[in-house]
Amino acid sequence: MGHPVTTNPFIIMTINMTVVFIVLMALMVLIKAIHALDPTKEKEEPKQAAPAPVAVAPPPPVEQVKEEGIPGEVIAAIAAAVTACGYSAGEIRAIRPIERNGWKVSGRSFTNNRLA
Amino acid sequence: MEFFNAFLVSLQAVWNDSGFSAFTAGNGIMILVGLVLLYLAIVKEFEPLLLGPIAFGCILANFPRTGFLDEMGLMMAIHYGIANEIFPPLIFLGIGAMTDFGPLLARPSTLLLGAAAQFGVFVSLAGAMMLGFNVQEAAAIGIIGGADGPTAIYLSIKLAPHLLGAIAVAAYSYMSLVPLIQPPVMKLLTSQKEREIQMEELRPITRFERVVFPIVTTIFISLLLPPIAALLGCLMLGNLFRESGVMDRLSDTAQNALCNMVTIFLATGTGMTMSAESFLVKETLLIICLGLVAFIGGTAAGLILGKVMCRATGWKVNPLIGSAGVSAVPMAARVSQIVGMKARPGNFLLMHAMGPNVAGVIGTAVAAGTMLAMLK
Repeated sequence: MGHPVTTNPFIIMTINMTVVFIVLMALMVLIKAIHALDPTKEKEEPKQAAPAPVAVAPPPPVEQVKEEGIPGEVIAAIAAAVTACGYSAGEIRAIRPIERNGWKVSGRSFTNNRLA
Repeated sequence: MEFFNAFLVSLQAVWNDSGFSAFTAGNGIMILVGLVLLYLAIVKEFEPLLLGPIAFGCILANFPRTGFLDEMGLMMAIHYGIANEIFPPLIFLGIGAMTDFGPLLARPSTLLLGAAAQFGVFVSLAGAMMLGFNVQEAAAIGIIGGADGPTAIYLSIKLAPHLLGAIAVAAYSYMSLVPLIQPPVMKLLTSQKEREIQMEELRPITRFERVVFPIVTTIFISLLLPPIAALLGCLMLGNLFRESGVMDRLSDTAQNALCNMVTIFLATGTGMTMSAESFLVKETLLIICLGLVAFIGGTAAGLILGKVMCRATGWKVNPLIGSAGVSAVPMAARVSQIVGMKARPGNFLLMHAMGPNVAGVIGTAVAAGTMLAMLK
């Protein structure tokens, strides 16, 4: 092992903290430069901006789609599930209970079969 | 009679060759230490993936006459991997593949918080020198404050290999105790109003930025600080595997199989350095105390710069994210999130705190490289 440059802890601290700050500040500049020079930036940003007008364009979903008897929490849960699948909430035109009772019947029979 | 004598001689030979005949009180104490660490790992779940093999390595290291380091075998191969700085860069490869630098790229100013948190390293270095450690030993002890296990091991091997066991145990123990150490310091140094600050959403990061960042960082830092090129290069290579989108198999291997294997070797090998004769010395106790000072100092410095940034940006930065600058990824960021949520339910600081958190990893590596350049 060679000789240390200095053994004064205050000098070591000052030099090291200065170097750490300078290197990380230089990295900060590099990150900003990468962002500034990013050739894909212009292409991607309009894409991300695009959904906004689409979301605004459709009529306000909740007021129009809400049917009598469907609780707000159910509408919120359905809207959340739809948006989780990659659609915007504005694309939901209507939420209404289906006429047939097929799902309920099927659910009940499934549960009964499991319990049997 | 002859049979009885032969039996006694054989029994005595077995006893003389056994570990029991050479077992010392120090070995017993260290095995107890190993068992306590195992308890913390398994029952309390304090960094179990690291403390578990470290603890078991500690127990193995205190069996007399095993000859682990006398002849070539698995244990010597593991020791070779540690002594020749093979494992820490490989762990960094896995960490890089697991790390999302997105929050840092979205808010590059958080790099300053990662830099400020390195202050604890140098407070501890000064303290160690005042307590009689030489400058190389003090630097290796100080890096505990970086809360970055592989870097702490890397620097200890280079500057103070005889302190490796104590430094590694202190570093990993404090990393697991971050949720207990940091919150009191965070509450002491910030006001309720500061803790309640909600930060703006981060901007989206393009794939171009994610891919170019590791390449540019490697070129820049490796040219500036060649002693840490292996560490930082592996961190960024792992990240490139992740972000390129075309090296998924390599990314998967680095994140899972490779990282797990190297963790087993590195942690067991680190535990194997905890033999009674090298660990049961007063320096170990001092190192553990200095490690705590380093952690608290780093947390406090990050918070203070966080407060400065809070004022400078017109109360747009929550100072709590400053404490995450001490690395300990992602534990320190989670602590920022928890303390922020307690101050104001619904205050999500996790992704904001990940910026200084990963900046801290780079900052600790830079601090280690600078100390190697100055002191080796």
